[in-house]
Amino acid sequence: MRTATIHPLVADYRHRLRRAARALPRARRTELVAEIEAHLEEALPPDPTEIEVRNMLERLGEPEEIVAAEDPDIAPAAARARAGSLEWFAIVLLLVGGLVVPVLGWGVGVVLLWSSRVWTRREKLIGTFVPPGGLSLVVLALVLGVGVSSETCSGGGGSGGQTTEQCTGGMSTPLQVVFVVLLVAGLVLPFVTATYLGRRAQRAR
Amino acid sequence: MVRASREASLSQLRRGVLEFCVLALLEGEERYGFELVRTLSEAEGMVTTEGTLYPLLGRLRREGVVETTWRESPAGPPRRYYRLTPQGRSVLAAFTGDWTRFRDAVDAVLGTTGVRS
Repeated sequence: MRTATIHPLVADYRHRLRRAARALPRARRTELVAEIEAHLEEALPPDPTEIEVRNMLERLGEPEEIVAAEDPDIAPAAARARAGSLEWFAIVLLLVGGLVVPVLGWGVGVVLLWSSRVWTRREKLIGTFVPPGGLSLVVLALVLGVGVSSETCSGGGGSGGQTTEQCTGGMSTPLQVVFVVLLVAGLVLPFVTATYLGRRAQRAR
Repeated sequence: MVRASREASLSQLRRGVLEFCVLALLEGEERYGFELVRTLSEAEGMVTTEGTLYPLLGRLRREGVVETTWRESPAGPPRRYYRLTPQGRSVLAAFTGDWTRFRDAVDAVLGTTGVRS
């Protein structure tokens, strides 16, 4: 195989191609890189001269140009970065907006989420409903949960002067488990969703 | 100014018909990527950079007008062969009709106004 003696210009070209192709979704990246690699193999005679290599690469075109042809949205890198700030703002607001300004903060995040062109409908639905309110939901749940449990406890104490042990045991061992699971989910899910949205925003559309 | 816009129009025209030329090359025989790209780039003025044809091939495949198979090559790595799907065949037939009408119309206009003088 000729791959043993890769011309330095070809090696450099392949390196640039891989770097440029990072902006593409994985499946398209693999396909495009494989095709170009095959082209490089086919287009050169064994032990090519530098002139042959240069002519071949010039005919092939710049890696960046090829990747841009794969996805026109990738070419204007500046425009993409500018669009990015809105998306990051949306993600942050969805996560903690409801904590800063209850309901409204999160609501603005939802509006930003749906006004962005980066995400698909499905991703927007996930961003909105997993979980609704972001982290503020878990805080709300905590407040309500503490309220409910203390209420039940005082009721138990009042009815027969029973110990608090009986009171908590009677009402909530299974309930507590559910509560804790929901709590953990409520804490973790907003971060999972935020990470998911962040990744999706970075990938090329 | 006029010249620059003429060149831009030509390049748009070229880009617009390129995918149908790919389909036409695949009519009757399958070809591998490099072969397709070289054939097109050897047609005068069709392609400026060969590499940008590969994204086009990928798009045609995603659109379902061509399909691909990997085959061993006599020497070197396996090759990805492209061939027309039935859908590709009908797209090509429709375009061929459109193109003939378009070409005749342009020829008729050019023939009666510009070229004679």
